[in-house]
Amino acid sequence: MTSAPVETDDELLLRMQSGDEEAFLTLYRRRQAGLFRFALHMSGSMPVAEDVTQEVFLALLREDCGFDPDRGTLSGYLFGIARKLVLRHLERGRSHVALDTDSDDYAQPELAVLDDPLLDLTRREGIDALRRAVQALPRRYREVVVLCDLEEVDYADAAVALGCPIGTVRSRLHRARGLLLEKLHQERNPRQALGTLKPVRCVS
Amino acid sequence: MNCQEFWSTIPELGDCEGHRHLLECPACAARMNRHRELEAGFRAVAAGLRRVEAPPRVEARLRSAFRRQTGSETIASSRRWIPVATWAAAFAAMFALAAFLVRERQPAAVVPPVQRTIELAMLQPQADYEGFIPLPNAAGLVADEDDVNLVRVEVPRSAMIALGLRLQRHRARRAFLELAVWPEKEELRCVSQLLP
Repeated sequence: MTSAPVETDDELLLRMQSGDEEAFLTLYRRRQAGLFRFALHMSGSMPVAEDVTQEVFLALLREDCGFDPDRGTLSGYLFGIARKLVLRHLERGRSHVALDTDSDDYAQPELAVLDDPLLDLTRREGIDALRRAVQALPRRYREVVVLCDLEEVDYADAAVALGCPIGTVRSRLHRARGLLLEKLHQERNPRQALGTLKPVRCVS
Repeated sequence: MNCQEFWSTIPELGDCEGHRHLLECPACAARMNRHRELEAGFRAVAAGLRRVEAPPRVEARLRSAFRRQTGSETIASSRRWIPVATWAAAFAAMFALAAFLVRERQPAAVVPPVQRTIELAMLQPQADYEGFIPLPNAAGLVADEDDVNLVRVEVPRSAMIALGLRLQRHRARRAFLELAVWPEKEELRCVSQLLP
């Protein structure tokens, strides 16, 4: 017995544009989670992530959505729209520094639970530290880490989403990983990090 | 291979296990280990958030938006008689109007046909009427005819859409149609359109 071939995003888009609701929903269900998480990582806010996800697909519904298959995949294009919408939110100053999980609607996502409590605690602390470090990255480095390292978007799609060459994606990723390692190292060794500060003279 | 060459030739973190340079250079081996730990951390963070997705209400809202958008098309396709009826009504109205105006202008029959063109919307600036675009199959219909009256009428955007004319890229609320009227043959044809 052979399973039916999975429709590509482009095929679903074509069907969707001819009015097929099922194709639209299939496309949405396939892509929404990654887009939602990307917006969440970038904005730190669940409501913003929800708005962005919705707006991305509303943009796709418009006749002049502007997607050109010759310029990249639909996935990269959707991440590109999401990025622009998130940046708009960030520019308006409506972003949140940490994940906004005050509302009951937006419970903090549970991390994977391991058998060893001590190891679990250690892992959780490490994971939380890494999440904080990612959120503290400058925007241009944060977006490339979220896309390539957390959402595992390939470099070509990331380049489409970010509107830059693949080489720039690679170099930003390299720099971002360096910054993260530095930040995590400082958190683990705060005294050593303090030692690297240059002394300043007090003038009054 | 020195350290710089190693890191520039192996930008990715996979497939360099047991690389000769890593065996020779403890600094690079340590750095590589830190990068691998970071990768493992990324995987752990990603795994922790794998089930995080947009709330179901987003899908419900989008489904409604999709239905709203395609709903008009569905209605239009299921009621094909509407454009036909609109065409018929519009032509009947235009013909009645044109016949009335032609009869009013009978004493001026000596005026050359071009000057007999009836300008219905004289209150509009003349610039509005520049740029009429011939409709398909209407080119040359009027050129060789002597006994023809041209009637220009303003119609709302909704009527243009109902007539099946493409207006997607135009935001104007009104448009103009140019109708050719042959009084003797009692015939009326729409020959061109203008989207201001």
